[in-house]
Amino acid sequence: MTTPQTRILIVEDDPVAADALAAAVRDLDCDPVVMRSYEDGLKAAGLAEFRVIVFDRMLPGGDGIDAIAKIRAAGSSALVLVVSALGRASNKIEGLEKGADDYLAKPFDAEELRARLRALLRRHDMAVLDNDLITFGPLQIRTKARTVHVRNQHIPVSPKEFELITYFARNAGETVTRMQLLENVWNLHFDPQTNVVDVHVGRLRRKLEQAAGHPVIHTDRGVGYVFDPQKDHAE
Amino acid sequence: MLIVAAGIITLSLSAMALQYRITAQALEARQAEVLAADLTGFAQFYEQRRIPGLREAIEARAAVTPPDAALYLLQDRNGTTLAGNLPAWPEGLTKAGEMFAPLPAQDINLPGGQYRGVARDLPGGFPLLAARSQAPVTQTLADLRGTILWVAAGLSALALVAGWLVARAVVGRIHRVNTLADRVAEGDLSARLPDPRGSDEFGALETHFNAMLDRIEALNRATHRLSDNIAHELRTPLNRIRQRLDRIEGQDEAVAAIRADMAGTIRIFDSLLDISGAEAASGQRPGLVPLNLSEIAAEVFELYEPLAEDKGLAASAAIAPDAMILGERNLIAQLVSNLLDNAIKYCAPGDAVSLTLTVDGDRHVLSLADTGPGMPEDIRATMFDRFTRSARDRETSGHGLGLALVQAIATRHGAKLTLPSSDKGFRIDIAWPKLPRS
Repeated sequence: MTTPQTRILIVEDDPVAADALAAAVRDLDCDPVVMRSYEDGLKAAGLAEFRVIVFDRMLPGGDGIDAIAKIRAAGSSALVLVVSALGRASNKIEGLEKGADDYLAKPFDAEELRARLRALLRRHDMAVLDNDLITFGPLQIRTKARTVHVRNQHIPVSPKEFELITYFARNAGETVTRMQLLENVWNLHFDPQTNVVDVHVGRLRRKLEQAAGHPVIHTDRGVGYVFDPQKDHAE
Repeated sequence: MLIVAAGIITLSLSAMALQYRITAQALEARQAEVLAADLTGFAQFYEQRRIPGLREAIEARAAVTPPDAALYLLQDRNGTTLAGNLPAWPEGLTKAGEMFAPLPAQDINLPGGQYRGVARDLPGGFPLLAARSQAPVTQTLADLRGTILWVAAGLSALALVAGWLVARAVVGRIHRVNTLADRVAEGDLSARLPDPRGSDEFGALETHFNAMLDRIEALNRATHRLSDNIAHELRTPLNRIRQRLDRIEGQDEAVAAIRADMAGTIRIFDSLLDISGAEAASGQRPGLVPLNLSEIAAEVFELYEPLAEDKGLAASAAIAPDAMILGERNLIAQLVSNLLDNAIKYCAPGDAVSLTLTVDGDRHVLSLADTGPGMPEDIRATMFDRFTRSARDRETSGHGLGLALVQAIATRHGAKLTLPSSDKGFRIDIAWPKLPRS
């Protein structure tokens, strides 16, 4: 999906964080370009084509959030992931409202970061792939009718479960974290004390597994879930 | 203001009434003096030549006195008129007093007018009547009353107009300050009074107001900056630790435990910053948008429902549709989430948890009730304080910030929080102000 030429710009002044970000980018077979200040980051964003730009907030010279509008105005189609120590719900909402495509709070898990970056890279590819029907072998998701079928057998799902399976399907084969599910499916930007998401995923998973005869949603321990109907039944 | 005007008018009217009475008394005294002078004159003639002398004196006096100004009458003992300007003794007029003393005087009402004077028998049975007309007095007093009436009317009108003008000026300037205070109370800390004018007390008040608001705004900004800085300065090193943890291999369990502890630490200071952020923004309009409280409550309930079911709780929701409020979606979702999370955490299988939203007057009341163990006695008084945990719940996870955040979020939205007593379990009611109809 991604080629070694896919470049990701990282604008981060903290060297340890910058290294971790660069390492995660390389894990995804992309090229990291690291800038250390707001001005340099903004300049770099205008000079080359980037698929994703990772912007810190409290940078020497400015706030990464303010850069988003400038980057967009300059004609860049890069998706922006804000990674910031300003990690409260209100900060995230502010960032998303000001045009960030995703917002990750520090400190972050390497897995969480990779999951977010992958989702952004995929979103780039999937922008046009918005058909009515998403198919994984015998599993069919009809987005207009909002129904799920396995081998033409209708599987009753609640409206939330449908949104959940749709989000999974759009990120099929990749790890999706609980935080991503909470943010994208429930539009909630705080960390509930209990893992409520697990219960919902568990229910959907049982329904799909019963109908398909094998696991459809797999657990990525400590990180999240992977939706992969065609994976071997090894788990 | 009206009271002051009325007071001034009353005072002026009293002064004029006093003046009127003094004038009336002076006029009456003047009339009495004239009468006394007449009587003194008559007395002298009487002393010299008795009745004939008096008769001549009265004739002369009546001749030079304008008709109606005075009454004079002297008769003999048969009732025959000897002198005077009256044809006969007025009917029913009684006689009193001795000789030519000016007192006792009496009022004499005749068809031609009102008089005041003396009526008595002189020695030998000669009835004497001498009285002065009251007409000049009544006329003068009537004129005076008329004048007073006009002055009073003019004065009242003047006082009202002047009062209204002064009131408008004062109230207008107070209104400016009040409007500003309202705007600030609604959260617009940048509101100021334009061009503070004048060097009077109002000007000084406005200048003080502006200076005070400058200070509050600066402090508010500093607080925001401080919490941003706290977040940044703490999270950056925590992030380094986390990134270095990722490079440690072969000690997965220890690394996972450290990660969990770090996540807990961050959750605590996020909650603290959320609480103080919500408290600082309390009562402020900016940041609040029209929201459907019913939808949010239903969504969060739906998020928690399977969890409650899995735990063997009977969860139910009765949510009135389309309860519109001004709010911040994420905060409200967090409030409902904290309440449900707590209820589920403390209830045992078989207990019931219910979330209801009803309309009560000008408020939407969201209440959560459960049949769990209820709020332990030892923390009833402090349950909304930060870090309040009951000795009973040491085993349960948490930091005692959930309800503190619930209260801070409710306060930020101007919602009232009450804890109706219930026989069993815990119940909390939150009354949200309805969205004002635009």
